[in-house]
Amino acid sequence: MGGPAIELSGLQHRYDTDLVLRGIDLRIDHGEVFGFLGHNGAGKTTAVNILTTLITPTGGQASVCGFDVVRQRREVTECIGYLPSEVRMYGHLTALENLEFFGRLSGLTKPRSAAKDALAFLGAADLGNSRVGSLSSGMRQRVGIAQAIAHSPRVLFLDEPTTGLDPLGVRQLRETILALNQERGMTVFMNTHLLSEVAKVCTTIGVLNRGELIYKDTIEATRERFPDEASLEDIYVRMSVVG
Amino acid sequence: MIGTVAVHQIRALRRQRILAELVGSFVGITVLAGVLGWASHRTIIGVYEESMRLLATRNLAAPPNPFLLKPKLSQLSNVVIYITLIGALVALLLGHLTVAEDDSTGIGRIIFSRAIRRGQYTLGKIVASGGVLAGSMAASFVVSVIALWIVNSSVPATRDLGRLGLFFGLSWLYLMVFTMVGMVTLLATGRRSFGLLSAMGVWLIVTFAIPQFTSGLRPSQSLNPIVDPVSTSQAFFRLTRRARPLSVAEQYKQLSAQILHTGAPESSSAAIGRLTPILVALGLLVVITFAQVARHDFSRSDSGE
Repeated sequence: MGGPAIELSGLQHRYDTDLVLRGIDLRIDHGEVFGFLGHNGAGKTTAVNILTTLITPTGGQASVCGFDVVRQRREVTECIGYLPSEVRMYGHLTALENLEFFGRLSGLTKPRSAAKDALAFLGAADLGNSRVGSLSSGMRQRVGIAQAIAHSPRVLFLDEPTTGLDPLGVRQLRETILALNQERGMTVFMNTHLLSEVAKVCTTIGVLNRGELIYKDTIEATRERFPDEASLEDIYVRMSVVG
Repeated sequence: MIGTVAVHQIRALRRQRILAELVGSFVGITVLAGVLGWASHRTIIGVYEESMRLLATRNLAAPPNPFLLKPKLSQLSNVVIYITLIGALVALLLGHLTVAEDDSTGIGRIIFSRAIRRGQYTLGKIVASGGVLAGSMAASFVVSVIALWIVNSSVPATRDLGRLGLFFGLSWLYLMVFTMVGMVTLLATGRRSFGLLSAMGVWLIVTFAIPQFTSGLRPSQSLNPIVDPVSTSQAFFRLTRRARPLSVAEQYKQLSAQILHTGAPESSSAAIGRLTPILVALGLLVVITFAQVARHDFSRSDSGE
């Protein structure tokens, strides 16, 4: 697979007069699990919204799987999976009906079969005929991940995937991300606040502070660079303060 | 993609029982109009028979049964009023619900991260709501035929069936205008409650305010098509008469009256002239809906209420 999975070049975004992304340069290779860290309002979700083609950047360029997110929107959407924060799907429909619909939107010819496979992969085959509205947040999260992976995307975007999950749910999510990365070779881009999980799952991290990317490196290199800090949390706090 | 969105939307409405409630509302409206038509028929026949007995006791000639002179379809004339009052509100709600869930729950984020164009999505939603309304009109048509059959003790003539079909086709067009209003107001305001309130404001203006103005402030014309009274030569009334094509509700009522034989006969060119404002309004709203969906930021619309 030639070229990076995700590439941002001078990426900017402005909401009215508020500049929320200030010229970000970033490259994420295929097979990485990238943790995108930052305070609330740092611009993480805006970056994901641009990369998933939901909004058009006001400046700079971004590409996913080698396709420009503005000019080659269709190609980008065909190679990505996306789990928004706080998944809310059609509550009156069953998990399979939801997944089937999203599968069809991704152009799957056998969306039901793909939906069942995705649920089985996540150990949630029994949820298929349950109405999504009746599921717990942890179960709903698994259905949400199933919708994001059923069409076998090359790049998976997860926006605050641990929100609302209990410790067991967080652990299951971590195992799922690792399995998707290692067994299916998916590149994962994860916005998160949960630093302990980043340390256990991610291969690379980036820190966004007030719309600027102030740090990007592998987890190992980060630990070597900040040997005096006891945890990733300490490193993150130090970088944010310095940034 | 269009079919996928449309089928999914109809399935979602059915699962939420909204589909049954919508069809039930329109069938209810038709049944109510049928019952009123039947009650009116019974009353007139009763009065006629009583008159006949009185005339017979006085050896006077009997006039013809007035009910036999009345067109059969006019028995359903109340449907027109119910459609402008209740049906239009139901159609507003249908349009609102068709896009509300995707917008307010953040599902739109997932949808538009997929390989679907916004135009395909919009068309799918319009096809779904149009299909639901068409189903409702078809059910109402069947109920109307049964009602006419019961009231007149005979199957309606083919010509009447054709006119009835034409009337429900026209009603579908009229209701689609309000369905589109329901969609547009939600997308424009971005809030469910405000969107619904705005849509109801539009309904009030279209159903009551504009007809009041264009019919020269005669309140009764808000509900019924009435032939112009005499002495409307003042400048104000000339102005309101010229503005009459703008009143979509009035055009619908007048056209329905033509189809159901409850209004003064008009030429076919006049009838087409009455249809034009409805088609123009619907066309404009469809264009606005496409434009709204194209520019709507679904990434920021997950707050709901």
